[in-house]
Amino acid sequence: RAKDVTMPAKLPVNFFSFFFSVIDLFRGQLDYAEHLRQDSEIVLYFFYAPWCGQSIAAREEIEHVASRLSDQVLFVAVNCWWNQGKCRKQKHFFYFPVIHLYHRSFGPIEYNFFFSAVYIEKFVRRVMTPLLFFFSRSKLLDFLSNYEPGVLGYFEFNASPQPPGYLTFFTSALHSLKKDYLGTIRFGVITDKRVAEEISLVHSGSVYLHRHVNTSLIYPNDIMNFTAENICKWALENREMLIRWLRPHGGKSLLLNNELKKGPALLIFIPYNPLAEIHPLLDEITKVALEYHNCNKSQAAEPDLQHLRDSDSPAFDSSVPDAHMKLSETFSITKYPCCNTVVLPQWHSISRTHNVCELCINQTLGVKPNKVHVPHCNFLEIEAALDSFYLQEHTFFQVISNTIECSNFLSFYSPFSYYTACCRTVNRHFLSFISSEKTIFQTPKVAFSSHGKKDNTQHSIPHIEDRNWFIPDLHISGTNITGLSCRTNKTLNLYLLDSNLFWIYAERLGASRSNHLKEFAAIVDLKEEVHYVLDQNQSLVGSALENFIKNFSILYSPLKRHLVDDPPLHFHEQHVITEVSTHTFHDTVFLSEKNVLLLYYAQWCGFCASLNHIFIQLARLLPPDNFTVARIDITRNDLPWEFMTDRLPTILFFPHQRKEQSVKFPEDFSVNLPNLLKFILRHSSLSSSEPCTKECLHKEAVLQQGHISHLEREIQKLRSEISALHQAHNQLEAQLSEARREEHRLQQQKHTLEKQHKTLQLHSEQLQATYDQKNQELLEMAEKLQELADASENLLKENTLLRILVASREGKLQSKDETKESLQSEQILSEDNDISVSTAVATLDEKRIDNIDTVETEHSSGNRTE
Amino acid sequence: GAAMLRSLGSFLCLWALRLPVAPAGSGAAARGLDVASYRERVRAMFYHAYEHYLESAFPYDELRPLTCDGQDTWGSFSLTLIDALDTLLILGNVSEFQRVVNVLQEGVDFDIDVNASVFETNIRVVGGLLSAHLLSKKAGVEVEAGWPCSGPLLRMAEEAARKLLPAFQTPTGMPYGTVNLLHGVNPGETPVTCTAGIGTFIVEFATLSHLTGDPVFEDVARKALKALWKNRSDIGLVGNHIDVITAKWVAQDAGIGAGVDSYFEYLVKGAILLQDKELMSMFLEYNKAIKNYTKFDDWYLWVQMYKGTVSMPVFQSLEAYWPGLQSLIGDVDNAMRTFLNYYTVWKQFGGLPEFYNIPQGYTVDKREGYPLRPELIESAMYLYRATRDPTLLELGRDAVESIEKISKVDCGFATIKDLRDHRLDNRMESFFLAETVKYLYLLFDPDNFIHNDGSVFDVVTTPYGECVLNAGGFVFNTEAHPIDPAALHCCRKRKEEQWEVEDLMREFYSLKKTKKFTLKRTSNHGEGESPKYPEDAPSEKSGEKRNSKKNSHSLLSCPSPSFNSKLAVLGQVFLDNT
Repeated sequence: RAKDVTMPAKLPVNFFSFFFSVIDLFRGQLDYAEHLRQDSEIVLYFFYAPWCGQSIAAREEIEHVASRLSDQVLFVAVNCWWNQGKCRKQKHFFYFPVIHLYHRSFGPIEYNFFFSAVYIEKFVRRVMTPLLFFFSRSKLLDFLSNYEPGVLGYFEFNASPQPPGYLTFFTSALHSLKKDYLGTIRFGVITDKRVAEEISLVHSGSVYLHRHVNTSLIYPNDIMNFTAENICKWALENREMLIRWLRPHGGKSLLLNNELKKGPALLIFIPYNPLAEIHPLLDEITKVALEYHNCNKSQAAEPDLQHLRDSDSPAFDSSVPDAHMKLSETFSITKYPCCNTVVLPQWHSISRTHNVCELCINQTLGVKPNKVHVPHCNFLEIEAALDSFYLQEHTFFQVISNTIECSNFLSFYSPFSYYTACCRTVNRHFLSFISSEKTIFQTPKVAFSSHGKKDNTQHSIPHIEDRNWFIPDLHISGTNITGLSCRTNKTLNLYLLDSNLFWIYAERLGASRSNHLKEFAAIVDLKEEVHYVLDQNQSLVGSALENFIKNFSILYSPLKRHLVDDPPLHFHEQHVITEVSTHTFHDTVFLSEKNVLLLYYAQWCGFCASLNHIFIQLARLLPPDNFTVARIDITRNDLPWEFMTDRLPTILFFPHQRKEQSVKFPEDFSVNLPNLLKFILRHSSLSSSEPCTKECLHKEAVLQQGHISHLEREIQKLRSEISALHQAHNQLEAQLSEARREEHRLQQQKHTLEKQHKTLQLHSEQLQATYDQKNQELLEMAEKLQELADASENLLKENTLLRILVASREGKLQSKDETKESLQSEQILSEDNDISVSTAVATLDEKRIDNIDTVETEHSSGNRTE
Repeated sequence: GAAMLRSLGSFLCLWALRLPVAPAGSGAAARGLDVASYRERVRAMFYHAYEHYLESAFPYDELRPLTCDGQDTWGSFSLTLIDALDTLLILGNVSEFQRVVNVLQEGVDFDIDVNASVFETNIRVVGGLLSAHLLSKKAGVEVEAGWPCSGPLLRMAEEAARKLLPAFQTPTGMPYGTVNLLHGVNPGETPVTCTAGIGTFIVEFATLSHLTGDPVFEDVARKALKALWKNRSDIGLVGNHIDVITAKWVAQDAGIGAGVDSYFEYLVKGAILLQDKELMSMFLEYNKAIKNYTKFDDWYLWVQMYKGTVSMPVFQSLEAYWPGLQSLIGDVDNAMRTFLNYYTVWKQFGGLPEFYNIPQGYTVDKREGYPLRPELIESAMYLYRATRDPTLLELGRDAVESIEKISKVDCGFATIKDLRDHRLDNRMESFFLAETVKYLYLLFDPDNFIHNDGSVFDVVTTPYGECVLNAGGFVFNTEAHPIDPAALHCCRKRKEEQWEVEDLMREFYSLKKTKKFTLKRTSNHGEGESPKYPEDAPSEKSGEKRNSKKNSHSLLSCPSPSFNSKLAVLGQVFLDNT
């Protein structure tokens, strides 16, 4: 039956398209695959399932790697899905594909990362040569200065065939690849005694773990057994991770969660080719990381740093020493070139504790050598200082005291200067005496805001750190990158991400789409829910990173929370609702001369999406001259804290002229058109009761104009409604006439049917009459039959009586002689006649016959008993 | 879609939860999947199945892909054709949509002596016809003047729904599972119905009521929902099957999968569609209990509904809709974590087995099949909207590759009978074209009109007034038939609202003329109307917005995305989200 028809799975076919470099065991011949291992020192097994998208995607990458390494590595692909195959029967994989590597008999070493050809190739190469050999000092220094931890073994190769312990060390290198599938710990071997002494290794067979900041370690042979597992474990436990690669494998993982929960993190995205010989950018970042962690100018890190500097490309060679010369200069800056006393206005929050401050401007002459030293304060400069000072108002929070408190802060307007403020409390009457001065400091603000605007035109989003970039060694509040990690209470963890694989995270943090270099750095503070972004207009170099770190670390960080701004993909074609982004938020909401209704939404939130039509209707109703209906997708656009909401949808109304007094649509009311209109009506700006001026009249005229156009629109709408009604009317009429026709037809049908019915009725009456008649006849017939039956019964009775009579007669006659024989023959004749009558009755009614028969047999049996 | 759960074995054993294995990612995420090519492959899949159905199976309900013929399964209404109708439009095939609308109008008859499942008829037939009706104008069908409040497809949907109404004539208001389309409920019909078979009507029935103006549909659907709510256990869970006469629970396993699934789905979707707080509060209560008793390590297990003890540590293919549902109410982080668990099961088999034993990490006996169900893909589509995580496209890629490699046969796509060896069965369920293909296509087509975020819309003039339609926010019924929420506001009660709005607009223009007086009138205006906007409505100033005194937020809202969510892509998940 068709219902029970099933079909077995299709037979496996070649997965790799006859690619000569890869042996494709598509029938899952695991035994043969293992047999093949004898042929090659290094074997890569690619276990796949033919239906698996991941296997299909990885196939291409494997082919690529195979084409490059086929002379040294045997590539074997095994279909581990087909249920008739050996592989499926013996192995139990939870996912596909799985890559296993064997170095001779050592294995399997699983490769467990993105299936990208370069990373696979790198890993295979590591398995091929797990150990690096160092014969010269410079190569060794190269190895040691790397950001990834290194383990070194010293083995004298005089003994044959191999020095003791070498094989164990070799195996431990392979072993580490099993645990640490990306191979962050590198293993090296020193064969030269003099080179070994550089790192204080004297005995052949000793193992050394290099560390940059902490002291390096020598494997404790006396405490732990010298086994491959132990060496590997020891290295993993004690390694130093100044800067780490974050390499999420793509499956569900808590990697970022665990790392970012440790504290603020600097994520650096760079495009990384694992196969490349040199990574200049990475070296530079390493240098920053080393400096950052180099507490107390530890001796350990110095040689590495020195080496890094030496090995830098010529371009860096010139810049780095320069920077260090400046470093020394910065300490010699003339202190406090000009000062001025400021009385704080009463409205200022600091004025509660301090009311007189001395502001001093410090300028770094080394950076701007052309600037002439000013002994007295320039008016503009002190104003700028004051402005910055007010913005940093939280600087002072101690209770009123007569002691003088000092603080350094960075100028908001000029990157070339910082200020020092020393504040104290003085008597009230003294204050009033000089209070007249304060006005001086308030008037020229305009000039400075315009200065700020000029900055805006240069960089779309001004960052403090961009400006500092021009002067890499400016010391803000005496902050220096060297060993900063130990001095600050906002220690950063440093991480690297390959932007070829993980650029999506950079995009999420606000990397611009025009960033083609794919270099990006951001500080993420999960706890504070903020992140900062290094300006993307400059290239990612060490000094920029240093400044970024410094600005983050200082007490009053000038970094600004980065707001991710993702302009909407679809603009409103009908231009009914204004789509707001982070960038346009202020302009649309605060600067516009209209009442603004703003909807916070997210496309994925079901409750938002189902309100779309209501807002479109609202926007179409409200006069566009006075009202803006806007919305902002909160998933794509961050806003300053004070404008964030915790639920979606949220509806805010910003009345014209009172934009700061925004009102929230109450949550317990359903969002529909009348409620929204009432809400707007209630809160939209009302002109106060001032007498009507010309302007007011004009406004009113405009309003009435608006009303008229609204009414016109309404009329238009009503007209179209009328036409729709007409249409519906016509349609109904058509249906009605159709129905009438139908009714008429039905009526006619009914008539004919009725006629038919009448004739049928007549017919049936006639039939009834004949039926009755027949019935009557039948009844009569039955009666007659009954009579006949009775008659026959009588006859039968008579017959039996006669028989009895005859029998008795016969008995009587027996005694008489044979002379009366003629009389006896007559008697038999009359008996025959009786029987013929009874058969005639039987043909008329069978039932009766039956009865008669039984009666007869009864009689006869009765006769016998008698 | 949901399916009935026939028997629930108990797996009372000690078990440890297996941590999901870490699957290796792929370079595809980095390079970016070729979305357009996968979209075209999905389109080709659709036509391969659809054309063979028309050729070999029409007018039967379903195609039998191995024998290349048709059979009736859920009735006799050319089910696959009704179900696939709106998929045609989503694929952009307007002409075929129009042709099929005509075919259905002539060919489908509900006056037949057939015993039909009330649930399946509702979600596939009524839902399919309703969505086709609402989309017909967009598809270029010549609609009548009263559209969307009248039309031939709407009348068909109404007729089909009326055939189901007798099933609701029970003492509890909970419907029977089966009804005869001609005679009503058969005498001697079993009163045991699964939970989903009781609570999966509100989306279609409320839409019908709003469009036709006859409240009977919405009323019976609500009554059934309330009856279930009333009969939940003390710890707030519902079982699997209930007696609709006595309201006694017959199967007491509580979970989110087979037998219950679309009940929860419809509470949320009903709340969204109707802006109904009551439905949402019911769901939130259930959600709390589900989290408390059934959730372990982002898996959802089966528990005893009264005691809360684990009865089956299995994951069911049908449960995979849950992450999608969570994303609709803004619980994206949890949704993603559960989704990633489910995705590992797909990677193990190339499909989702009906039951998957979580501690054992393998299929459950007799439940190894995969009838090409859509749930996981559905969740991927919703989550992709919310996160744009390339992992979700990878699931789409895997689904396309698996289905093409495993279940494609000359005559269509066949159900996988056993995921362990990929043996095929002679069936192609109608939801393959209605849901699986539709969600796959939508996953790969982010610019589809279904994903409209409100940036485009249509204005339709009806005899009842002007309507804004097709402004996005489509609510999918459990058979993936999209319903436009705007259409519900188009027909019923339109006039009252319109007059009110008109009055308010007049106030608007006279506002500045008669100042304070008007304001007073404005605030009095709402009196006697519900919901009323009171004079002293709590209005907070912008400064106080964030530390609002009220802790209770509107039920009909989602939480704003957390800071973590920026980085919660490519498999990364975060703990302790507040």
